Amino acid sequence: MRSTNGNESNKRRIWMLQGAILALNCAAVFAICFFVYCTTQRICAQYNARTFLDTVVTIPADPKADLLFCMVLLGILAATFVARILWLEHHQGPWTAVTLAIDVVVCALLIYWLDFNYNGLVLLVFANVVANVRDGKVKLLVAALAICGYLLADYNLLSIYLPLYRVSDYIQYYTADAQQYLFSIYNVLNSLNIVLFVAYCICVIDWQRGTIEKVNQLYEELQSANQQLLQYADMSERMAQTRERNRLAREIHDTLGHTLTGIATGLDACLALVEVSPEQTKKQLELLSKVSREGIKDVRRSVNELRPDALDRLNLRQAIQEMVQAMSQISDVQIHFQTDQERLQFDADEENAIYRVIQEGITNAVRHGHAKEIWITLSRREQEVLLVIHDNGVGAAEIKNGFGTRHMKERIEMLQGTVTFDGSDGFTVTARIPIRWSETYD
Amino acid sequence: MKRKWIGVLLGAVVLAAVASGAAYASADREVVLEFGMFTGSYWDVANANSFTIIDQAIATFEAEHPGVRIHYYSGVDKDDYSEWFSRKLLRNETPDVFMVLGTDFHQFTSMGILKDLGPLMERDTSFDESAYFTSAFVSGQYGGTQYALPYETVPTLMFVNQTLLNKEGIAVPDENWTWDDLYKICRQVTRDINGDGVLDQFGTYNYGWLEAAHSNGADLFNQGGTQSYFGDEKTVQAVKFIAQIQELYQGQTVTQEDFNAGKVAFMPLTFAEYRTYKTYPYKIKRYSNFQWDCITMPAGSQGDNISQVDTLLMGISANTRQEQLAWEFLKLLTCDPTIQTEIFRQSQGASVLKAVTGSRQVEAILQEDMDEGDRVISGALLSRVIEEGCIEPQFKKYEQAMSLANSKISALLDADNVVDSEMKILQHEVDAYLQQ
Repeated sequence: MRSTNGNESNKRRIWMLQGAILALNCAAVFAICFFVYCTTQRICAQYNARTFLDTVVTIPADPKADLLFCMVLLGILAATFVARILWLEHHQGPWTAVTLAIDVVVCALLIYWLDFNYNGLVLLVFANVVANVRDGKVKLLVAALAICGYLLADYNLLSIYLPLYRVSDYIQYYTADAQQYLFSIYNVLNSLNIVLFVAYCICVIDWQRGTIEKVNQLYEELQSANQQLLQYADMSERMAQTRERNRLAREIHDTLGHTLTGIATGLDACLALVEVSPEQTKKQLELLSKVSREGIKDVRRSVNELRPDALDRLNLRQAIQEMVQAMSQISDVQIHFQTDQERLQFDADEENAIYRVIQEGITNAVRHGHAKEIWITLSRREQEVLLVIHDNGVGAAEIKNGFGTRHMKERIEMLQGTVTFDGSDGFTVTARIPIRWSETYD
Repeated sequence: MKRKWIGVLLGAVVLAAVASGAAYASADREVVLEFGMFTGSYWDVANANSFTIIDQAIATFEAEHPGVRIHYYSGVDKDDYSEWFSRKLLRNETPDVFMVLGTDFHQFTSMGILKDLGPLMERDTSFDESAYFTSAFVSGQYGGTQYALPYETVPTLMFVNQTLLNKEGIAVPDENWTWDDLYKICRQVTRDINGDGVLDQFGTYNYGWLEAAHSNGADLFNQGGTQSYFGDEKTVQAVKFIAQIQELYQGQTVTQEDFNAGKVAFMPLTFAEYRTYKTYPYKIKRYSNFQWDCITMPAGSQGDNISQVDTLLMGISANTRQEQLAWEFLKLLTCDPTIQTEIFRQSQGASVLKAVTGSRQVEAILQEDMDEGDRVISGALLSRVIEEGCIEPQFKKYEQAMSLANSKISALLDADNVVDSEMKILQHEVDAYLQQ
């Protein structure tokens, strides 16, 4: 907040200095034109015209018209300046460039019209452009042009080649005392212009340095925030893992442990009973069978609870499509999902495995294969489901038993399926999963 | 609805603008061409008829160009003209066509006030620069560019006191006479008549080193006015010749009174003065107690019978809006035979056109003014003098350089110094000034 305020005040200072330079240049141009006009009138009134002509190189064609014309041009300069401050500051676009171009043309006209007696206007143009042009290259070009212009638009240089009138000739018409005053005014105007310009440049440099520092600071803040986020992500993942493990442990303890303990105790009882009363033992074993089925139910319930969110809410097809869509959106990878099955409905653990394998496959293709396109097909082969995940990434010459592939393998093998990997053309995962098409445990 | 009304309004405005523009364009607007001129003679002789030729030219021009009017300010004296014109210039009221004084020509051309006539001359097939006398035409050039055209020209001639020569039994020299002839006559006529021991009859008055240098083919400066040639043999010869003549006068100064009293045989005189004092009423005011005539300047050993030619120039403003009309009018004034013939009738100079000055008609005009028995300067001789005449160099420091040279040379003549080395020194001094 503080730095924004500083920037604002700096900007205002730049505008003010620019206004001051404009005002000074206007004053100088007007002063020159008015002075030449008045001196001409005076010379004519005093009948010194011919003597005066002997002292000059040449004269302006029409001092009165020059005065009017220059005032019109100064008006245009003031208008473009005001337009830039009041209106264009909030409308960045081609119009700022147009006003700057108008400025350049008007100043060139003025300098030419004044027969190069006053070239301070080059500084004015330069000041305007420096403040308004963002592009570094353009700025450099303008700077080079302005320097050339300032050097070339010099009276002493050009008067060698062109007949140009000289304000000092008009000043020299007056008495020595008056000449001193007039020359001082002339020089003060010139010097003041340069002083203002230097002050202005310092201000602009200051302002731009402030901007750069601010950008650097923001960048650093962003970097550290990023770092922190990474740490948070890492931590939350580990926390989730721990929580999951705890839950699993509890689950196993509460269900499987409980059941197995019951079964073990029951079996012990059976061992003791089997010789005394086989009938009793049979009853006991029936009971144990029931308990173990209950246990399986419990295990399946637990597994169900570990299912991904999407599978909870949606059916498998929708869940896969949602995941595919989400992945496509967050990375610039095109993912095609195809299946010949109208109805994708399997048991929860199967759906879970398919879903996870696809997820893992996409993740691997993007992360390790840098793939741009991924094709996923899911089809039925007799009692099996054939899942193929193919991508156009870099592939792998040698399949390493990495984390991703191991996980997939484990998941598939848990369902008595097989999985193969091929890294020769992109990367292809082929999984065959035997499905309990209609069989249920219930 | 509102937009429709705005459209109608805009349409009406455009229509009105077009209509008024068309009306403005089709209206018979009079074009006014400003002409800048001075009253009186350029040659510093009385001239009552200075407007007559211009008025006649204006009448001709306006008849040929309906809708064009030429305006001039009357009553600007020659002495005030330069100042008057400069004021007009400063206020951007420069006339379209104007007379340019010789003293202004260099300054005005270097300021870019006069239009470069080159393109106009090139475009105009009817314009023929060879119709002008070379000296007159070239005097309108600056740095090789034609900025003005000659209007009237005046060569310098040699006044001869016929009565005095007759008395001394000397024949009037012919037009090809030389320095030797002049020196011989001077030696013969320079003597003490009344026997008071002081010389009271002289050979020349006002005949100086510059006149001698012109007739010895000497160039005093280079084209750009950065180098002088005072140490040149031709100039040195001229100065020596003047020193020789002055020696005859034994240190006495010949005055205008001596001349007016008929005691001097020769004096340089402009053609304008010749014509003024040869005609009524001025011929009874001056030089009336003796017979006189004009001949060419005596030729030096390396030169010819030539002298300086002064030309009144006319130019066009560089800012004129009526370039073509201005050019037509300038052409009418400077190269129309009828108007140029009028110069002999109404003014004291000579026409700048070869065909006019050399014509029988002009000789007849000149004869009208003369007393019976007066010999009239022939058109052929006049043409030769003008055609071959020297023109005053055009550069900024000319007048200062000349006054410096004049004072140095007259001091040198008085002091009887060694001319050769002194002239070399003078050349260095003038060069130093020119190259400042």
